[in-house]
Amino acid sequence: MSTANPRHMDAAVIAARSREDVVVGDEIVRHRLYSRLVHWTVALTFAVALLTGMPIWTPVFGWMAHLFGGLTVCRVIHPWAGLAFFLAALVQFFEWMSDMRVEPWERDWLGPRTLRYMRYEEDDPRTGKYNGGQKLYFWAVSLGAVGLLLSGLLMWFPRAFPRWLIEVAFLVHDFTFICFAVSLVFHIYLGTAAEPGTFRSMIRGTVTRPWARLHHPAWYRKLTGEESRRTGV
Amino acid sequence: MSLQTLEIRRSSASVLGSRTGIRTAPTVSKYIDTSTCIGCKACEAACIEWNDLRHIATEQTGSYQTLPTLHAEYWNLIRFNERDFEGGLIWLMRKDQCMHCDDPGCLAACPAPGAIVQYANGIVDVNPDQCIGCGYCETGCPFDVPRFSQATGKMAKCTLCVDRVSVGLEPACIKACPTGCLQFGTKDDMVALGNARVSQLKADGFQNAVLYNPSGVNGTGVVTVLAHGDHPEWYGLPTDPHVPLSVRLWKKVLRPLGVVAVFGAVIGAFAHFTKYGPKEVRGADRPKDNLPEA
Repeated sequence: MSTANPRHMDAAVIAARSREDVVVGDEIVRHRLYSRLVHWTVALTFAVALLTGMPIWTPVFGWMAHLFGGLTVCRVIHPWAGLAFFLAALVQFFEWMSDMRVEPWERDWLGPRTLRYMRYEEDDPRTGKYNGGQKLYFWAVSLGAVGLLLSGLLMWFPRAFPRWLIEVAFLVHDFTFICFAVSLVFHIYLGTAAEPGTFRSMIRGTVTRPWARLHHPAWYRKLTGEESRRTGV
Repeated sequence: MSLQTLEIRRSSASVLGSRTGIRTAPTVSKYIDTSTCIGCKACEAACIEWNDLRHIATEQTGSYQTLPTLHAEYWNLIRFNERDFEGGLIWLMRKDQCMHCDDPGCLAACPAPGAIVQYANGIVDVNPDQCIGCGYCETGCPFDVPRFSQATGKMAKCTLCVDRVSVGLEPACIKACPTGCLQFGTKDDMVALGNARVSQLKADGFQNAVLYNPSGVNGTGVVTVLAHGDHPEWYGLPTDPHVPLSVRLWKKVLRPLGVVAVFGAVIGAFAHFTKYGPKEVRGADRPKDNLPEA
């Protein structure tokens, strides 16, 4: 397999199948194939859980039920999709956990730094493979997945648990979902329209050198040994 | 359903108001006098027979009671409660079934449009066409009445024999009662009957007798005479039933806020893109062929 290199495949794509954090020509492999598959499994299972859950949540999103053949089908699919999402999120957690340690100087991503980031004023040369916002999002998703799983199981089998616990579960499931939905909108927005060059890291697996220099300067320096130029924003 | 939709007062998961019907009707009610119930279970048998419920195995609970609780195939259950009272034993029998609340918690919790309806006459009913069997109504009900039916995948409970009532008949349980402790009529008439019976009980020495018609759910479509009205829990009734606070918080606060937040996030992302545009690689890092002409 490794010897076969059809002309339409370039070296970066082939490298991105098995390795990441390597420089190949003008590109840097950011997510190896396994990481990308795990991410898209999480995305797909979450999308199914989302689209089957939202019409049950409120009739305002009742139209989504028609994608699956009605509300009853949604009710049948939703818990299983949720379970699949949790399992995929669990695999993803162990895949990415080691890169997601929040450094002390990244803690202000919880507040003002995220606002600066959204105004494109954040330009910290210490930013590694993931910035503080991405790390916090990772931990929020992981924690939220546990919250959705536990509350979802309670709602799935209401007679197996005490009444007050079921009541709490409804509120937890609702609140966690709302947080998920809002942050997912921004996750998709930042990964596509807002930051050109990002989406290919989840499809092709690679990013360009200038992209890495702009968004993740410390990661770029580490991989290339180059000094990153301050990019005038 | 098609005829009955003319007479819907309230419907679950409704976006714009809920009254879909055009007719009004007097609110109906069952009347249960626990002080004259003899526990014969004729009402249980009549319920099974009229509603074609499947036969299920009874369970020994240490008393005459047929089952520990209501069941998807058993909508009407006489609860046999025993208590020591003033040196003697009192035997408190109460017919347990859906209470047909004026403010139904099941309907408030239900996520499926039209799956739980309250007819113009106050009867609260599950509409199997729309029910998705999620069981949320179990959490909404302050009386622990709705049950998930494994046979149909839907929720099941007492319909107050809406099919009989709609054609001018009394519910099957009322029809079967041999002592007259069960009566059926308009809510006003049943409350008047109950109040009269309570006065009689008080005159007979039951100072705490009440007509159980709890205000927490704005009254019920089943009014119950309790000789020991200071202790509804002796009869297996909640002291102060109301739609759970969690259900109200969830449906009235968290959900509207969440809908606003979801739409707000989408609009916010578009607004951000409009104001800031994409975060592009700039200056010397920018690929040569994309440089604007100087």
